[in-house]
Amino acid sequence: MNDSASSRQRILESIRSATAPVSSEPGSENAPDRRVLPRTYIRRGTMNRNACVERMIDRLREYEAEVAECTAEELPATIAAQLASSGKHIFVAPEGLPAAWLAPGFEWKVDRGMASEEIEQAEGAITAAFCGVADSGTIVLHHSPTEGRRALTLLPDRHLCILRASQVVETLPEYFDRCQQTPMLATFISGPSATADIEMTRIKGVHGPRFLAVILVQDEIEEAQSGAKAS
Amino acid sequence: MTHAVLDPTLAPPFPEGALPVLRNPQLRKNVAHAMDVIQAKRAKLVAEKTDWPELRSAASAIRAHALENLGYYLEQFEARCTAAGGQVHWAADATEAREIILGLLRQENATEVIKIKTMTSAEIQLNPFLQAAGVGVFETDLAEIILQLGDEEPSHIVVPALHINRGQVREIFARQMGLKDLSDAPHALTDAARTYLRQKFLTVPTAISGANFLIAETGGVAVVESEGNGRMCLTLPRTMITVAGIEKVLPRYEDLEVMLQVLARSATGERMNPYTSLWTGVTPGDGPQRFHVVLLDNGRSRMLKRPVERQTLKCIRCAACMNSCPVYRQTGGHAYGSVYPGPIGAILTPQLMQLQHAKSLPYASSLCGACYEVCPVKINIPEVLLELRAQVTDNERRQTVRFLDPLYLGLRVANLVFSRAWLFHLAQRVARIGLRLFTQKDGWIHSLPFIGAKWTQTRDLRGLPRQTFREWWTARAKEAK
Amino acid sequence: MRTSLFITCYNDTLFPETGRAVVALLERLGVELDFHSKQTCCGQMHANTGFRGEAFSQAKRFVQLYRDAETVVIPSSSCVAMIRDQYPGLFEEMGNASIREDYKALLPRVYELSEFLLDRLGIEDVGAYFPHRVTYHASCHGLRALQLGDRPYRLLAKVRGLDLAPLANVDRCCGFGGTFSIKNAEVSSAMLAAKLQDVVSTAAEYCTALDNSCLMHLGGAMHRQYAGMKTIHMAQILASTEDLPAEAFA
Repeated sequence: MNDSASSRQRILESIRSATAPVSSEPGSENAPDRRVLPRTYIRRGTMNRNACVERMIDRLREYEAEVAECTAEELPATIAAQLASSGKHIFVAPEGLPAAWLAPGFEWKVDRGMASEEIEQAEGAITAAFCGVADSGTIVLHHSPTEGRRALTLLPDRHLCILRASQVVETLPEYFDRCQQTPMLATFISGPSATADIEMTRIKGVHGPRFLAVILVQDEIEEAQSGAKAS
Repeated sequence: MTHAVLDPTLAPPFPEGALPVLRNPQLRKNVAHAMDVIQAKRAKLVAEKTDWPELRSAASAIRAHALENLGYYLEQFEARCTAAGGQVHWAADATEAREIILGLLRQENATEVIKIKTMTSAEIQLNPFLQAAGVGVFETDLAEIILQLGDEEPSHIVVPALHINRGQVREIFARQMGLKDLSDAPHALTDAARTYLRQKFLTVPTAISGANFLIAETGGVAVVESEGNGRMCLTLPRTMITVAGIEKVLPRYEDLEVMLQVLARSATGERMNPYTSLWTGVTPGDGPQRFHVVLLDNGRSRMLKRPVERQTLKCIRCAACMNSCPVYRQTGGHAYGSVYPGPIGAILTPQLMQLQHAKSLPYASSLCGACYEVCPVKINIPEVLLELRAQVTDNERRQTVRFLDPLYLGLRVANLVFSRAWLFHLAQRVARIGLRLFTQKDGWIHSLPFIGAKWTQTRDLRGLPRQTFREWWTARAKEAK
Repeated sequence: MRTSLFITCYNDTLFPETGRAVVALLERLGVELDFHSKQTCCGQMHANTGFRGEAFSQAKRFVQLYRDAETVVIPSSSCVAMIRDQYPGLFEEMGNASIREDYKALLPRVYELSEFLLDRLGIEDVGAYFPHRVTYHASCHGLRALQLGDRPYRLLAKVRGLDLAPLANVDRCCGFGGTFSIKNAEVSSAMLAAKLQDVVSTAAEYCTALDNSCLMHLGGAMHRQYAGMKTIHMAQILASTEDLPAEAFA
């Protein structure tokens, strides 16, 4: 719209006349100097790996998420047990989920561009994750092929998330350090949805999955033993 | 109950707007309870966060830096968002923003929209405008549903329905959702809302949101929420329209490592809110395939000129200031006559209105400083309040009607009196003699006329002593000789 | 040790007993006192109501009057806050290099009363005797602007016979706020009512503070309500001894 273009001009001129001079090309040599910004807050955690993972589990349980721990070998069986204990049968999985995670005995819908109405039929979803932040018990999804499209972890009432211990960091800044590339999509999940809008009473599960379960895969034990650095 | 007016061009001055609230024990109780809950949670988490002072400094610096270089970062955001498939529109004022949004809805042939709560849309009075144009608007935040169905106005920017208790919510839902047997247990009310909205989420193809942050380096948008309705609105529809003030920009994605830590603790007293969503333009196969950002100025760019005013724009809408404000505690949000209440409202609204309206808001404060103490981005709210008082006074003092205003007159006289010691001493004697008229036998004044009545309506005033301190000192010095 | 007493316009007129108590206290501690009779006001009332030009002229007058003082002691935290926090802006906006320099030189020599006793004189036990139950109200300027911290409590702790009752919600504003108490009288009164609940429930005989402004507001309401509690500036408690009880200053 022409009006929008002239408003754009007016707004930018109004801004420029009030602030430091600015180039017309973003990303040019006149990029603002960020070195003056203080970063004296805590960036790296101080907990050892075990304590860090323990903290993650504690925080998840504070949110009333179910947490099970297992080794990499035990994972498929643990998934099966978790799904069985939910009493539900229809699950949706992202396209890139390892086949070994699709436990037998359940109805699996693998998402290859499913319509929302169909995802809505599923009783739960299973996904991997990108990172866990122990400080706040936050799970971060970047919606890669193993984590799935955003609707998968939104519509079904249950979300089973497979989180590797090596993916867990202590502080939020450490998560950002791990992002070699900035994600196009990210969802930070810190417990099931909640509201405190009625008399400040915290009620869980307004929209979004009301049940969150996490399987913490202890993949660092072998790595620690072999001396390799967890990544 | 009188319907609150949150339009600064129509709302009564603060002292008047506060009166119905002051006489409403239910509302005052609700407000105080909500404030106490959030404050306690916040205090606990702030005490636990050993680098809280450093986080505040960083948050303040990041926001200040973004504002200092706002033109650069806005253009960067626009370029990156566009490259990722989004469309960026610029609205100089509320009227233009509304028209842009309606135009986009017409392009979509949209007859309904679902909305995530956004103060910015309330600021531009979007809902009534769209309804009048024949577009059905469905709020999806629990608080916003309560307000919409109950025909109420928000009184807080994070917990907008905090002035409404469960019984009142039950009554609204039962009536509007046709649920006669609905109980007033919070979980039952929440379930009712969940059911009510499910179909809307799955079928309405157009959504409107605000933004907590716009990420310049990536063109990304971040929305912070608790209930999940935000995720519904920004994932399921075909078209997404985000309206955001130009000041919402953050330079880099990693700046969220600071902002998210201070926002959740300040706003709801949590280490992290349940859901934060970040999306960039359009992602094929995932989420809305048409995405528009409407950047809103509406008075913000003018505020950039002077540092004392510019700091107002650092605000990240956490509401910690109003949660700590002893004035807000007694009046709630409606008294401020603006969608932005409390301390931040007292400085933001008058400035957005260019001091043409909301002129009483900078005086709606005892300058106690509690807000500045808790502001995660260190806005020196008392400093801005004083600045705005000076501007209001400068604008008004020349007007004839103000010349005879008792307070203005009194302050002019006081200044004259304070400028010369002999005048001051004379004035003290005159006051002492004059007030004797009103001093009762017990040595106290129980009632004063005119502007003095504002004091004596609830307080006594001790009568002026026979001798000022200076007179005593002078007499003592004479005696010593 | 010399100091110049800035009594403040409202103490001079309304609470001279506070000034008398400050004199008695400091002279007892061996301090020589000056009193410039030309003093009037620090400019706070005008600054806070938006009359900056007027506030500037009063500020300039203050700085010029006390240019050569060894120290200045002020029994009012809000006035000290005005001098520390608002004078710089006023002088920046309307002053010249000369007044800014004079101010800069004067600033470190200006003390609120409790600061003067503890930081300048290094005295915590001023030899006071006040056998009453007392609660302390932390006025906002003292609490936040001056960051007085535990100074008032340290002084009160050494007063013999004094029974200190802690005040709930001590960091919440009483609602005075200067002209706020007139311009927003109803809201001010609502804040006052909430504050009085906490004050009265201490069952103290006296409510004390380092600012008579708050005490005028609290005391005025308690007097109206026959609440059975009095207000008293801390200077009067600290000046009180067995031989010279606080009533002597009244």
